[in-house]
Amino acid sequence: MTDRFHHPDDREARSAARVRALEALLIEKGVITSKTVDTVLTVFETKMGPFNGARIVARAWVDPAFKQRLIEDAPAAIAEMTDLPEGMAGAEGEHMRAVANGEGVHNLVICTLCSCYPWPVLGLPPYWYKDPTFRSRAAREPRAVLKEFGLTVPESTEVKVWDSSAQIRWFVIPERPAGTEGMSEEQLAALVTPEAMMGVAVAASA
Amino acid sequence: MKLQHYLGGLEGLGPITVETRVFVEEWETRIFGIHTAMMALSPQLPLPPTPSAFHTVWTWAHLRTGAEGLNPFDYFKYRYYEKWLGGISGYFIENGYITEEELEARTAEYLADPEKPLPQGGAPEIDQRVERYLAEGDSPKRDVAIQPDFREGDTVTVRNVPTLEHTRLPGFLRNHSGVVETVYPGAYGYLTDTGTDGVGAPMPVYCVRFEAKNLWPGNTEPNVTLYADLYAAYVTKPVA
Repeated sequence: MTDRFHHPDDREARSAARVRALEALLIEKGVITSKTVDTVLTVFETKMGPFNGARIVARAWVDPAFKQRLIEDAPAAIAEMTDLPEGMAGAEGEHMRAVANGEGVHNLVICTLCSCYPWPVLGLPPYWYKDPTFRSRAAREPRAVLKEFGLTVPESTEVKVWDSSAQIRWFVIPERPAGTEGMSEEQLAALVTPEAMMGVAVAASA
Repeated sequence: MKLQHYLGGLEGLGPITVETRVFVEEWETRIFGIHTAMMALSPQLPLPPTPSAFHTVWTWAHLRTGAEGLNPFDYFKYRYYEKWLGGISGYFIENGYITEEELEARTAEYLADPEKPLPQGGAPEIDQRVERYLAEGDSPKRDVAIQPDFREGDTVTVRNVPTLEHTRLPGFLRNHSGVVETVYPGAYGYLTDTGTDGVGAPMPVYCVRFEAKNLWPGNTEPNVTLYADLYAAYVTKPVA
């Protein structure tokens, strides 16, 4: 029991060597190509990422009718934004839903069983989202968890926790910060973080 | 029972980690890429065939089944992508793509010389299919006419289904009752058949609303509502 959590000193070097060995063997055996892994990573740098979600939220802030359509039918509303990259209903975004924070309501998205996350609009989940301690605690004591993120949510505000356990990939439309009147959509998008779109933060103030 | 099925509500774990990076070590990017390629090349998908030697099925369900089957101490001991590396390496060995000896020998080479280049080459159709999978996805929605048993506003009770390996039912909801918030239109399959656990074939999915104070009486915060998306196999009519 005592060394149940012991790791070797070269923990990361070993994993790095092992994954490189695996990639090399898979290339040699014709399973993947020497470009496959980089191809995947490039998609997440250029096409699927939180830069899309930030633009969608900014649009919702400036266009209340769009926001309403986003809540009612997220894929259809997102499809209206034709200048987003291809694949907005692609892998892990086939069935997305958006929930909006507002007066008296704060939303928090979690996945207690694994790490379900809306890839097209948010990219890949940050470490905190995948960590079992967050996933365990956020279900039962969301306010205590949010406080550790630096966010205080009063007891008078209902906390709605969305556990992503089937086909839906959820994201949050945070509230538009005060003092942002007159800002462009591009400027507004810069205030929207992945954490705000999962509900562990609010949008940055201007 | 598997602890991994019952993470929601587990106590005594200490502070959360507020690390916002996706990958905390550079090597983690590589195993993510390999996993995503495997999902894209998995033969059950309706995508154009490629010259890839990958011929066995790999989905999220396979990755999750491995993680859920881990010793629960190991589940907490290893980081997210360390678990992926273990599970995916094991899959390639078990399915005869590579041998343990090959992997160990090659690992030793890269440990001695981390900069040693990767082999080059491969059919471009493989990477085209990977990009296409990411862009098109793999919707579980199935075109079958199934009438849902419940309507929005109905109270349902979560069944205590006999799960053996893999489940999509958060354990803390078992035997609890909630109210149907949304009946999602259509029917949804799952990536694999979970056997007596009950999901796989197309069925309705409900978003069900639970009051945290009913889930954890006297041991939660006020004014917290928890919503879970539950396959029809997981819910039943409350016992009168």
